[in-house]
Amino acid sequence: MFARSTRWLTVFSAALGGALLLAACGPAAPTPPPAATTAPAKPAATTAPAAPAATTAPQAAPTTAPAPAAKTGAPVVLRMARNQEPGVFVPWLIDDNTALFTLANVYDGLLRVTKDGAGVEPALATKWETSADGLTWTFSLRPGVKFSDGSPLTSNDVKVSLDLARGGQRTVWKDNYKAIKEIQTPDPMTVKIILTSPHAPLLSELAMFPAWVMKAELATATDVKGYDDSQEWASKGTGGYYTESWKKGDPVILKRNPNYWKGTPQVDEVRIEYVADDNTRVLKLQGGEVDIVDFVPFSQIDALNAIPGVKASKFLIQQTTFVILNVTKPPLNDVKVRQALNYATDKEAIIKSVFFGQAQVMNAPIPLGTYVDKNSPGYPFDLAKAKALMAESSVPSGFTLPMVVANNNQDRVNTAIILKDQWSKIGVNVDIQQLDPPSARAATRGEGNFMASPSAWTNDMNDPTQIVNYEMRGGEGSGSFAYWTRYNNADLNEKITKADLEQDPAKREAAYVEIQRIYLNDAPLVFIANLGATAGWRSNVNGFLIDGLSYYRFEDVTITK
Amino acid sequence: MGRASYIRKRLFLMVFVLFGVTILIFSMVHFLPGDPAAVLLGERATVENTAILREQLGLNRPLFEQYWLFVSGLVRGQMGTSLVFKQPVNELVLSRVPISIGLAVYAMGIAAVVTLVFGLLAAVNKGRWLDQLIRIVFMFVLTTPSFWFGILLILVLALGLKWFPVAGFGATFQEHIWYLFLPAITLALQLSAVLIRNLRSQVIHTMGSDFARTARAKGLPERLVLLRHVLRNAVLSTVTIFGLQFGFLMGGTLVIETVFAVPGMGQLLFTSITSRDYPVVQAITVVSAVLVIIVNLIVDISYSFLDPRVTYE
Repeated sequence: MFARSTRWLTVFSAALGGALLLAACGPAAPTPPPAATTAPAKPAATTAPAAPAATTAPQAAPTTAPAPAAKTGAPVVLRMARNQEPGVFVPWLIDDNTALFTLANVYDGLLRVTKDGAGVEPALATKWETSADGLTWTFSLRPGVKFSDGSPLTSNDVKVSLDLARGGQRTVWKDNYKAIKEIQTPDPMTVKIILTSPHAPLLSELAMFPAWVMKAELATATDVKGYDDSQEWASKGTGGYYTESWKKGDPVILKRNPNYWKGTPQVDEVRIEYVADDNTRVLKLQGGEVDIVDFVPFSQIDALNAIPGVKASKFLIQQTTFVILNVTKPPLNDVKVRQALNYATDKEAIIKSVFFGQAQVMNAPIPLGTYVDKNSPGYPFDLAKAKALMAESSVPSGFTLPMVVANNNQDRVNTAIILKDQWSKIGVNVDIQQLDPPSARAATRGEGNFMASPSAWTNDMNDPTQIVNYEMRGGEGSGSFAYWTRYNNADLNEKITKADLEQDPAKREAAYVEIQRIYLNDAPLVFIANLGATAGWRSNVNGFLIDGLSYYRFEDVTITK
Repeated sequence: MGRASYIRKRLFLMVFVLFGVTILIFSMVHFLPGDPAAVLLGERATVENTAILREQLGLNRPLFEQYWLFVSGLVRGQMGTSLVFKQPVNELVLSRVPISIGLAVYAMGIAAVVTLVFGLLAAVNKGRWLDQLIRIVFMFVLTTPSFWFGILLILVLALGLKWFPVAGFGATFQEHIWYLFLPAITLALQLSAVLIRNLRSQVIHTMGSDFARTARAKGLPERLVLLRHVLRNAVLSTVTIFGLQFGFLMGGTLVIETVFAVPGMGQLLFTSITSRDYPVVQAITVVSAVLVIIVNLIVDISYSFLDPRVTYE
């Protein structure tokens, strides 16, 4: 009928060819990424020794990118893709991890956590001393510290920031600073903190994010009701980087702070874009469109390391994963049942199949921070012991255990599936109920109408007081009902209060170890693993670090050829 | 009735539809279990700080009051403040609407071209190898999930051949066209699969009608019979489906936006639902409803251009 069908084919091929030609001749900007970022590499390397000297040189307009280090050529830009967008940029209003992890580069507190997360070290304060009664702490500020706009740090900035954190209208972190009665500023370089009672965790609390220091004027402005939060995106702290503005949907741009007290960072600018899909993020890294990505799926770490030009790894952080048990619902109110569940859990198997070997067995009931019980016996996998405990328990023939799982975290779903299989061997029939995250959360908090639910925790401070109070303290006034397990051991509550007040480090450690042993024995949780945070980066990127509290640190990053 | 008064009547009805939409979405989203304050505070949520945050966010006010605030703000053109981002919802949503619309228009544009070319090719070569090939290929496209298809295109065209970027949106208009090509073509191919089947069967049917035979008898070349007479008649039902698909794309591009990291409405809607960011969910739903209504109105109007027999009652 229509013999000239080939004509249409040629027309279409021409159109397709034209479209692809257009695409190929498209803007060249994103294509050869290594070239763009390594062009200034040589100048950067040779001026590295000059950097500390450059910070004392006359500070010209600090907002211009080619700052004191006399760099020629394009600024060194580190491109990162991450899995979520940040929410709020004010330290004591922050409630999302994404903002936290990034803003650790913008703000500092009087102290900061050490790279391994096990202790604290000086940051804005260089030394401190306590009065004999332990009620007054005097901090000496580091001399010569400037905010990113060049203005000097004074004790007033510290006082205003801390007062807002512990008592401002909009803060949600009042609880952490209950122990502080008053803050005084006898002179611009000294801060005196007066406590209501002796409080050993003070240093760790001052290293926590709500205690980060903002310029006094900016800080006060944020506390007014009706304050336009989008103004806070111009965040100026004393950290290695600052932000000028941010609109949701745009990448977060961190600009180098030439006044940084630790020395000018090598990377001029960090561009952080938001790529939600795990696979796409990793593909962008492979394609060279970004230099660093976070939350690399555990399953892809080995595969990425095998690709030339790319590296991936986990950083051990203070994060644990476990299953919450509601100890008020029979038969979970029987401690033998809870212990049996712990013994019946083959943690190595879960680590191998869910985390691809990138995790460690959790033996102590808290993350690997200060005063963790290093010699904790934990619950080594022992099926025989588990069966024996079940036989002695109130339900020797087993029972059905509904388990609420948030469906947005594939690792937790997979863990639940494996536990279903493992626990069936002791007669426990797990009924997995997948709910969307807020519904899952409402089930475990609120009325607590649940029996079991997998969960995970990341420490905000290295000192054990945060997690011990959140996880082990029960009853009214606990705020969290022992991590929502509704476990309530009055004797343990008292021991926790005493340990929090104890001033002598050795006695405090002994007290927390005892607390951990008691709690471990009562097993309101099924302890599974200590996790790491994963990241991937191009091989020419060095010095990227995720520290013990999961903060992303860019200050030591260098990009080489 | 006339086209103008028809349009006026439809726009008037739109107000009532939107009102119903606001009631529906407000009740649905507020009766879902889950508390935005608890979501915001994450693992650190204690009973106390959750209560403080709820109070700050105005979540303890009676539902009726919250609904009234929402609707009265909407009438004034303000859609509230996002619970998660603490930014005015207007900026959040309206900055994304052009992106989603742009992606949808891009995708539908490609779909229109693909449909016309391959639908006609298949119709005129009915039964021969070209027709079978087209139908098999598009069957394959239709049955694969869109995220898989999208990642496949990334692997081949972006990582393998390096013709396009992996994901993202770009900064300049030129870059937008380049970055959005892969997501647009992923959407377009899947939508075309349905459109091609429809167009093909309509064209085949119309080619055998009386007026086509008359045109051939008058000596008109087959090409002109097809393009000048048959196509305009055959395309009507395809246009209907096209319009429906376009409406679906308003907010239905979630998967593609996530895979290709396009900052559109779909992605924002998804994250807002999972964090129970009520103002944003409500706003996006209302905006999507408006867009769907407008698109359907345009499609309905277009009939009168395609087919002079159509009148409006």
